[in-house]
Amino acid sequence: MNKRKVTLAVATAGVLTGAAGLSLLAMPAGAGQPPSLPDIAPEALVEQVMTVKPGAFGGTVEVDNKLGLPAIAEIPQLADGKHSGRIWTDGTGKLRLALPNGQSEQTIVDDGKTTWSWNSQTNEVTKSEHKADPKPENKDQDKNSAEQKAIDPATAAKEIVTMTKEFSEISVDGTARVANRAAYELVLTPKPTEKTLIREVRIAVDSELKMPLRVAVLTNGTAEPAGTVGFTQINVGPQDPKLFEFTPPANAKVTTPEAKEAESREKLPEAGLEAALHGKDPQIFGTGWDSVIGARIPAEAMTQVPAEAQGLVDRFTKKVSGSWGSGNLFTTKVATILIADDGRVVAGAVPEQVLFDTIGQVK
Amino acid sequence: MITRQFGSEVRWMLRRPRTLIGLFGLVLVPIIISFGIWTAGEDGGGGGPGLGAIIQGNGMVVPIFTLFLSLNLLLPLVASIWAADGLAGEAQHGTLRGLLVAPVSRVRLLFVKLFGLTAMSLFAVTLMAVVGIIAGTAFLGMNGMMTLSGTTLSTGEGLLRIAFFIVLVTFQMVSIGAVALAVSSTTEHPLVVQAATMTTIIVFQVLGQFPSLDWLHPFLITTGFPGLVDVMRDPMPLNQIWDSTLLAGCYLLIGTGLAAMRLITKDS
Repeated sequence: MNKRKVTLAVATAGVLTGAAGLSLLAMPAGAGQPPSLPDIAPEALVEQVMTVKPGAFGGTVEVDNKLGLPAIAEIPQLADGKHSGRIWTDGTGKLRLALPNGQSEQTIVDDGKTTWSWNSQTNEVTKSEHKADPKPENKDQDKNSAEQKAIDPATAAKEIVTMTKEFSEISVDGTARVANRAAYELVLTPKPTEKTLIREVRIAVDSELKMPLRVAVLTNGTAEPAGTVGFTQINVGPQDPKLFEFTPPANAKVTTPEAKEAESREKLPEAGLEAALHGKDPQIFGTGWDSVIGARIPAEAMTQVPAEAQGLVDRFTKKVSGSWGSGNLFTTKVATILIADDGRVVAGAVPEQVLFDTIGQVK
Repeated sequence: MITRQFGSEVRWMLRRPRTLIGLFGLVLVPIIISFGIWTAGEDGGGGGPGLGAIIQGNGMVVPIFTLFLSLNLLLPLVASIWAADGLAGEAQHGTLRGLLVAPVSRVRLLFVKLFGLTAMSLFAVTLMAVVGIIAGTAFLGMNGMMTLSGTTLSTGEGLLRIAFFIVLVTFQMVSIGAVALAVSSTTEHPLVVQAATMTTIIVFQVLGQFPSLDWLHPFLITTGFPGLVDVMRDPMPLNQIWDSTLLAGCYLLIGTGLAAMRLITKDS
């Protein structure tokens, strides 16, 4: 009788443990106690962020995106929601990115001479050899570095700091634990004279390596970050050299970026816009946080937009007009893009009024 | 003593005609998949989401693909059949009474049933995988194992991945079976057990489709299924696999615990 009670208790405990385990698994991982670190001057920290050479590391990066962007076919990882990717680098420019997309995966490997981009959905490898010419004219290289910027907090943070350092109030606001490493929270607040949508950018800088581990962008009027890019797990140190090699699978199609680009330009209307914004002569107006990038889409590209793409554009944009003309306004939490009907495009992390004032200057 | 009981339990299960018919049906799955992809030919392959895109000319993916697909319905169904036979079936035939009054602890009876379920699940999953490797190699050819990351693993590494996947899938199956055993201990109608288990799995999968219910998703065992595809990435990320396995482990604990509570308090 007594033994029966004991077994019953054990069985009940088992059920309860299982139920508790379920709720524990469902709980989001807590941030944990912020570590206590010696004080550091903000200027010194910025200096270190700018000068540090990230060594070899491998890690998992999570992008939490609440920007309200429509899904872009080419970089599905940037659509709204949480996405994670894995990144490895040997510190000398060799790189591997693994970007899962549902049950598929995109892998990008840069072995120092060639950039390989593999997409399991299309069973296709895009191979682009680095030009001997050090000028970054190779478009694909640009695109890959754009992808790296989007996924690698360290690169993204450096970029932001370089662009906005002079136009921000810089402070160190406590510490944080990111990917189980102690970090300082470096905060860049736009100076009051800056007309921008962004309230502040928080960069968690590793206390030892001085490498940015997480970047969070906060916009006016919201407490939650509009976008966060950060490591969830990182191991610093030499990585397996095999990771930086890539052999195309036996039955995969291997193409060059040129062929790929021609194909995608036909398919995707956004590619035209992207090409225009990255075009030969993007014009930059203003400085710092409220700088605006402007360009002009060739007239033929404007008329070539297929009807269904037009529908897409209409769905995500708002018709606006003013003394500068008329066009479509595309708004996200951190950026605004204005596309005038005559092909002028301006974009920036600014409220729409700044764009209306600037678009007249686009040549 | 206990090994003898384990052995006799598995022998009993294998002696049931429906077990054999079920195993035969499971074995057909990888064959049909390989054959279908082979007839679809080069134009049919190479494209689409998930594992289907890389299966062409890559026979070693067939076992993983088959098990991954079967895990959604077929394997839970098989697990529920075995769980249903284990307790409810015996109750229906009146043989459970004999087992309950026997001078053997009821917890031991439950563990014998759970062992039978585990052994048969492992057997069924391994059988499917082995047939999958053979059929995949025969129809689609084999040249190492190409992963979702575009790398090609050697045959040995590929086999290791398959073995790892067999263990993972078996564990999921046993966890579902343990919950089915809990249901099985409350009824004398095996069909009720199967219906309840399958309904739950299907409802879970439907609930998993609604983004507005995302607070509920971490509790559903079916949420863990898609993450197991990480076995086919290289290098293999373990976070999702580990999460899915822990989730299934919770279900195993709850199922076993409830079944034990019911069996202990049951009147013979």
